[in-house]
Parts: sequence; structure tokens; C-alpha cells
Amino acid sequence: MDVTCEVLGGGSHELELDADATYGDVLEAVGLSTQEASVLVDDSPVPEDRPVETDSVRVLRLIKGG
Amino acid sequence: MQCDKCGSEAVMHAAYSGLHLCSKHFRRSVETRVRRRIRDDALLSDTATADDPEIWLIGLSGGKDSVVLTQLLEETFSEDPRVELVALTIHEGIEGYRDASLDACLELTDGLDIGHEVVSYAEEYDVEMDSVAEDDPEGMAPCAYCGVFRRDALSRYAEEYGADKLLTGHNLDDEAQTAMMNVLSGDVRQVAKHFDASLGGFDEREIDDAPFVPRAKPLRDVPEKEVALYAHLADLPVHMAECPHSDEAYRGEIQEMLYGLEEGHPGTRHSIMSGYEELARLAAEAYRGGEDSPHGTCDRCGAPTNNDICRKCELVDAVGGELPGDD
Repeated sequence: MDVTCEVLGGGSHELELDADATYGDVLEAVGLSTQEASVLVDDSPVPEDRPVETDSVRVLRLIKGG
Repeated sequence: MQCDKCGSEAVMHAAYSGLHLCSKHFRRSVETRVRRRIRDDALLSDTATADDPEIWLIGLSGGKDSVVLTQLLEETFSEDPRVELVALTIHEGIEGYRDASLDACLELTDGLDIGHEVVSYAEEYDVEMDSVAEDDPEGMAPCAYCGVFRRDALSRYAEEYGADKLLTGHNLDDEAQTAMMNVLSGDVRQVAKHFDASLGGFDEREIDDAPFVPRAKPLRDVPEKEVALYAHLADLPVHMAECPHSDEAYRGEIQEMLYGLEEGHPGTRHSIMSGYEELARLAAEAYRGGEDSPHGTCDRCGAPTNNDICRKCELVDAVGGELPGDD
């Protein structure tokens, strides 16, 4: 399955994932831990253990400092 | 994936608890944890009354953590006459970065019923962090200078406003990193100090003789990612940029290590903090009354120190700054 992943502030990635990939696998494919980023589908966060059901996601990375 | 509480579409999965939560129940869960921490830490003293309220100073930077903390405290205590909230924003003189985050702070506090003060290193010490980072007269990371100035400014303003407590937005990841760094450094006195300075509940700390305004971290049970998610779902004004001078290499290593542990063993951060807090309490009891805490005051500014001149005054001199009393 082909998925376009836009990491906010970190560029866009074209990913080839297994058919049963989860949103956690999307994070892994762009080198991020599930502890440091959230996946957004249509601007809404999705659980990392949910199977990917879209061809385009955005990734919100943690920004240090608060 | 449905919410385990109501069956609506889940927005998150907390591997450490196994729960899937929808937006509404996730936000409620964060709010519950913060309010429980405030209660468990006995943050609001029994002696606070409507006639003699406690003043809580909130360190508000405009980043996700302090914005969520400020919003939750205001929602919880705005109708409570026993508490007065004041947000304090410090402008370090970091062009672009802090100007934008100050805008986020102002946007937040404009809509809230709390006081908001802004102070700058330029006014306080006649220095700006951009120049300090460039000159670096002491050969240190920029955060080492900035941390000393920030602690001084927060403490001084806490005293000026008569604040009873200073609250900061440190989250579970921040605290677990600090705990690991203290343990790995082998510095048990530092662990003990951590307990009395900010970690222990107010009913367990020894703070009577401490020269500093006591601190607390009401978000310290909430993972960093959940704080960010809360800010996003509540549509809070958050400044999303990293400080250009940020350079905490060792903390970054610990953070990566904890991400790896948490991935393989969900709940690691919670268990680190649970054990560390108990060890810190025991260490604090063992070390209290020792020679370690500052017994004197700085000849120049009056801040607590064991030396003639405090570290902040040394650094202000080193970077060519001035204190208000210098002229």
C-alpha cells in the first residue's frame, strides 16, 4: 500500500507499506517513535495500533519546551 | 478502534494502560490526572481562604506544556476564591522564537481570567540570549546560562508577587528523564533535593526553611505526547518551534533510551517515577539538615548562596550584563 506522509516541519515521504500496516508502522517508517509523534488523518489524531485506511497522513512531532 | 468508555471513534491508544479513548474521554482523562495530582500533592493549603488566598505563579512560555497547564489551572480554580493565578512569561532575548511564543501566551491569557506578567533578560540583566550563545564566555551550552537566569527571574518574581507556589509545565517524560539522569549521575543528594524542591507532596516536603518559593509540576503524570495531543484537541494557542539554542545532548540520549524502553515495555516511565519518588523521599529524609543547602546570601543581589557572589551574578558579569542595582 502506498501512503504519502507529511511530517509537519520535516518534509514529505512516499511510503510503501504492508497491506496490514498500522499508523504506528507509518511512524516507524519515517524514523519516529510512537512516544514522540501523533498521526493525523483529516486533522484528527488516530490510534497507532489502528490499521492504515487512507493514502495520505500528516505527522505531528513533539516540540521540546513548554 | 472504538473508545473503551463510550464506543465513539478513538483518537489515541495508551499502550501503558491498554485503553483506546475518544477525544472527549481522552481530554477528561488528562484533566482527571492533573486534578488528582493537585489533590494528592496537597497543592492547595488548608490555610488558604477567600480573605487570604494562595498566589500561584505559573511559568508560561507559550509551548504546549505551559499552555495546557495554564488552561487547566484556570478551568479548575477560576471560581475558587482561595487561589489567585498569575502567569509569568520570560523573554530571554531569542529573536523570532520568543516573540512568536509570547504571542501565543498573550492569545491564551487574553481569553482567561488570570493576571499575566512579562519580564525580559534585557530588562533584568541587560543581556540577550542570542548574544550570550554567540559569545559563550564560559564555554558552556546556552541552556546552562539560560537556566540560571530563568530560575533567578522566576524566584525573584515569585517573591515580588508574594507567590506561595511556582508551577511549571514539566510532563511525565521530562520528569522520568530527570530521574534517570540523577540516578545515572550517582548523585543521591541531588535526588534528595529534587524531592524537597518540586517532587514531593506538600504534606511530605520540608519547605519551612527553604529560601526558594516551593515549586510543583501538576502535569507530571501526563506523557509528553498526551500533553501535545490535548493542546491539539482543545485547539489551544501553542507555539510550535524548538529553541534555536537548544542543546541538551545528554538529556536527548536519555530521552531516546526511554522511548526504546517504553516501546518494548509500556509503562516504564510511570514505574521509573513511582520508584524514584519513593527513593527520593527516603533520600530527602536521610539528608535533611545537612550542610548542602545554601546558608548565606549573595553580596550583590541577596539571593541564597554558599559563596560571596551567587552563580547568576557571576554569569551576568561573565556575559557583560548589569543588574538593576549596579548603577
